Amino acid sequence: MSLTMLRRSSPVTLAVAAALGMSFARADGTNPPPPDTSDWKCEQCPFLQGYAATVEAGADYANGANASYGRYTGIDHNGAYADAGASGQWRTAGGSYGSYDLQSLGLASREGYVEAGQEGLFDVRLGYDGQPNDVYDTTATPFRSPASAQLTLPANWVTGNSTAGMTQLGASLAPVRIETDRRTISLLGEWFAAKDWTVYANLSHQEKTGTGITSGSFLTDAVQLAQPVDYVTNTVETGFRWTSRVASFHLSYSGSWFQDNTDSLTWQNPYLPIVPGSTQGQMALPPGNQLQQVLAGGEARLPLFQATLAYEASYGKLTQDQAFLPVSTLPGSPALPWSTLDGDVHISHYGLALSARPLSRLYLRGKVSYDGRDDHTVPLAIPYVVTDTFAGGSYVTPRYSEDRSRADGSADYRLFRWLRVGAAGEALFTHYSPGQVVTSTTNNRGWGYATVNPVAPLTFTLKAGNARRKAATFNTTALPVAENPLLNPYDYAPRDQNFFALSGSWAVTSSLTWALEGSWADDAYRLSQLGLQSTRDRRASTTVTWAPTETLSLYLDTSYQRIASLQNGSIATAAPVWQALDGEYFWTTAAGGHWQIHERWDLSLDYVRATTRGDTDIWSGGVATPADFPENRTQLDSVAFKTTWQWTKALKVRFRYAHETYHTFDWALENVEPATVLNLLSLGGQPFRHDTNVYSLTAIYQLGEREVAAKE
Amino acid sequence: MAAENATAAAGNTQPPSPPSYSAQGADTCLGCHNDPAILSLFRTKHAQPNDPRGPFGHGGLQCEACHGPGGAHVKAKGRQPAGIVEFGKDTRTAVAKQNSMCLGCHQDNAAHAWSASAHAANDVACADCHKMHSAHDPVREAATQPDVCGKCHGSQVMGLVKPSHHPLHEGKMACTSCHSPHGSAAPASLVKATVNETCTSCHAEYRGPFLWEHQPVTEDCGNCHEPHGSTQPALLKSRAPFLCQQCHEAQGHPSVPMTPAGLPGGGSPNPYLLVGACLNCHSQVHGSNHPSGRALMR
Repeated sequence: MSLTMLRRSSPVTLAVAAALGMSFARADGTNPPPPDTSDWKCEQCPFLQGYAATVEAGADYANGANASYGRYTGIDHNGAYADAGASGQWRTAGGSYGSYDLQSLGLASREGYVEAGQEGLFDVRLGYDGQPNDVYDTTATPFRSPASAQLTLPANWVTGNSTAGMTQLGASLAPVRIETDRRTISLLGEWFAAKDWTVYANLSHQEKTGTGITSGSFLTDAVQLAQPVDYVTNTVETGFRWTSRVASFHLSYSGSWFQDNTDSLTWQNPYLPIVPGSTQGQMALPPGNQLQQVLAGGEARLPLFQATLAYEASYGKLTQDQAFLPVSTLPGSPALPWSTLDGDVHISHYGLALSARPLSRLYLRGKVSYDGRDDHTVPLAIPYVVTDTFAGGSYVTPRYSEDRSRADGSADYRLFRWLRVGAAGEALFTHYSPGQVVTSTTNNRGWGYATVNPVAPLTFTLKAGNARRKAATFNTTALPVAENPLLNPYDYAPRDQNFFALSGSWAVTSSLTWALEGSWADDAYRLSQLGLQSTRDRRASTTVTWAPTETLSLYLDTSYQRIASLQNGSIATAAPVWQALDGEYFWTTAAGGHWQIHERWDLSLDYVRATTRGDTDIWSGGVATPADFPENRTQLDSVAFKTTWQWTKALKVRFRYAHETYHTFDWALENVEPATVLNLLSLGGQPFRHDTNVYSLTAIYQLGEREVAAKE
Repeated sequence: MAAENATAAAGNTQPPSPPSYSAQGADTCLGCHNDPAILSLFRTKHAQPNDPRGPFGHGGLQCEACHGPGGAHVKAKGRQPAGIVEFGKDTRTAVAKQNSMCLGCHQDNAAHAWSASAHAANDVACADCHKMHSAHDPVREAATQPDVCGKCHGSQVMGLVKPSHHPLHEGKMACTSCHSPHGSAAPASLVKATVNETCTSCHAEYRGPFLWEHQPVTEDCGNCHEPHGSTQPALLKSRAPFLCQQCHEAQGHPSVPMTPAGLPGGGSPNPYLLVGACLNCHSQVHGSNHPSGRALMR
């Protein structure tokens, strides 16, 4: 260890180094000893002091807006919206500081933070994030008080054997929007207890409220329901970090408490009950749960081969103890011998990674890890009523535990200045708890790659590999009742995969660059008679950027993807009798640029077109010609234009215009009205479509220091 | 002027070996390098005079903390890089050297798994992603981060405008909401140890444990979902009923081929095919805590 390091290291660092008896090399070991900096006054340094801020205010106007456009944007109806934001920072000569950034204040997607602290001592940051998730405004339901825990039908409701017999349905339908709002408040505090030590705490409180979609059934009749969503999730993470030039360590505790303020959803049966008394259904909504973990990890630089050892370990418990609902709303249903699940899942992770450069041209890395999900919940024998319609006996709840052991590594060697080659491999062994369909699976993956860099601005990388998944003997007795033993479920099925990838970049000139990426992957489920047989994934993308002058930059992106899958099915316990071939195609083109027309005026323009096509063919009954589903299609065309005019030294005016056309066709939703399906009373949600224009005009006023400039 | 002074000072002194630092630190550098793109560094945490951890704190090496000793560069009147560490993809400084300058200080929690990360193995420089002089580093802001990641991970980023996607395109999430680009012990450099822990850190309602579990859900959300975007609803890899039939072929309705005859206008609109398909009845596919939820229908 150098004298410089000794001077700069804390006593803990020195103690660790001494205890290990190691001589650590600095990463920048070629640098000379630091100079005497007592005369380094930094008089030219334009350190910010005082207050600088930007305030933006104006209005947006939208037409053609709906839930489809409002998803995540918050602009979900026509009309005007306030458009406001602010950002700023202040610093004092003593090193105290503050900053804030508040955006989209007039929308449900508003977000921002306020931060304050003392340099080198502490930092506190308070954040807020709103995330609206509009889904449908084309939905309607006959239930009164939709999205409440009790859904009742109008007093004059007429039940029917099918939706056709529900004669009051049309008159009873009322619109219901399917939308949720996620609001998160976070507080992060850091205390820099010493140069090497940081103590921190990160708290967050998240509420998700609104209306979701679920569905319930009475044996063969189903109904889509507007589900109340009223979730609260509180999280805490607190711990410390110790960092030096030779090692680091962190220890933390994290806890996450999820609470659903609505434990159940009860709905009136709109159908003629199949059995007397089956007049309402009840389902459980997500139960409250909590996850608590202790995590530790760190890194140490070893004295040989620039080696670094990183380690990580965590252990935690996931618990759930929500009170059970009754077995059924059906009169005379059996009582439940248990009141709660007392769910108890132990989660553990251990990982160790080593990397080294034994030769200047050779880089090695290896990692081993273990992930365990150990379900300690006691299986319960539960009396069971099928869809609040009839008693179905008693069943023991299965519990699922898995543990994964993984090892992976790679070697990378620079053969010549222009050629780098490498090989990598991964082995993953998954062990499943007794009673599951397989006891274990093994996934082995290996690949090689070469990076060619014939001239400085041109680089290509070619990668090719193979992966194979094997499963231990299938335990067909563990399959659910009546399940076809010829089927290998997707996540266990033996699988071979071959893959290739090519990427490249070329700086044609100092202002023109081109990048290319493509991949090809084939999966084959070689031992599966039923279920997924094969998948193919082809992708390609390319980007060109051109900045002919300092004031103009342009780009063009295009991408393409095709995914094809083939699966077999069988009606009886026998060889395949039907086959489905699915092809999904996806194209995007994006182009745009930014132009600083002169020092007061700039503009930018971005255009995106994204197109998808889904094509499903199905063969059944031995016929040679497939039955073709209509093509599912989506097309997005989006234009965003922005221009800013620097009116005065402190005032800018900004105009933005966004146009977006989105059209989808989905055969699962198209023209499916609430009563279209005889035994499905649906909400009638239609495929997403919008043709929206949003105009925005704002003024931006700058306070305090405007530009960083060197002192005279 | 300062640069000239520094040059003169350097000229009067026999440079030590290995190379020397400049005479006046940042004042020397800023004498020449004073355009706004460089000076915006003073709006960042790297250039704060009261932070003892930062390069501009008391006793810090200022510009040369990252760019290395600049004495020879000053002596050459800036005409040669002369050992100056340059950052970026197509610069003369090797990636390992560039990164060693950053890692000399950033051995903290964010970077503790860097050396064994996929980015380190692929010779990615810190400056390939970070713009250290920018007051608003694009990779640290949700709205612009996907553009940075997409320079190499184009096939993932293309999915952000698929019909079903996480809200990255809208700036409400970032790639780093799920991935740790500085490395982690988890597969795909996830921020949590497993796929499920990562997903349920936001979707805690699916965390369970439920009275009735659905095995693929407890194992890996990725069995059914494609998190980088999908042409199918709810980020599914394939749509119901076909997705469900990849694991369920029980005699009875799960094994029946669903054909276009079940579409509206096809004769008999089929609830096993339309709207939610299998989920019209088995709506609790992530697990049920209802005593009668064995078939995930309650």
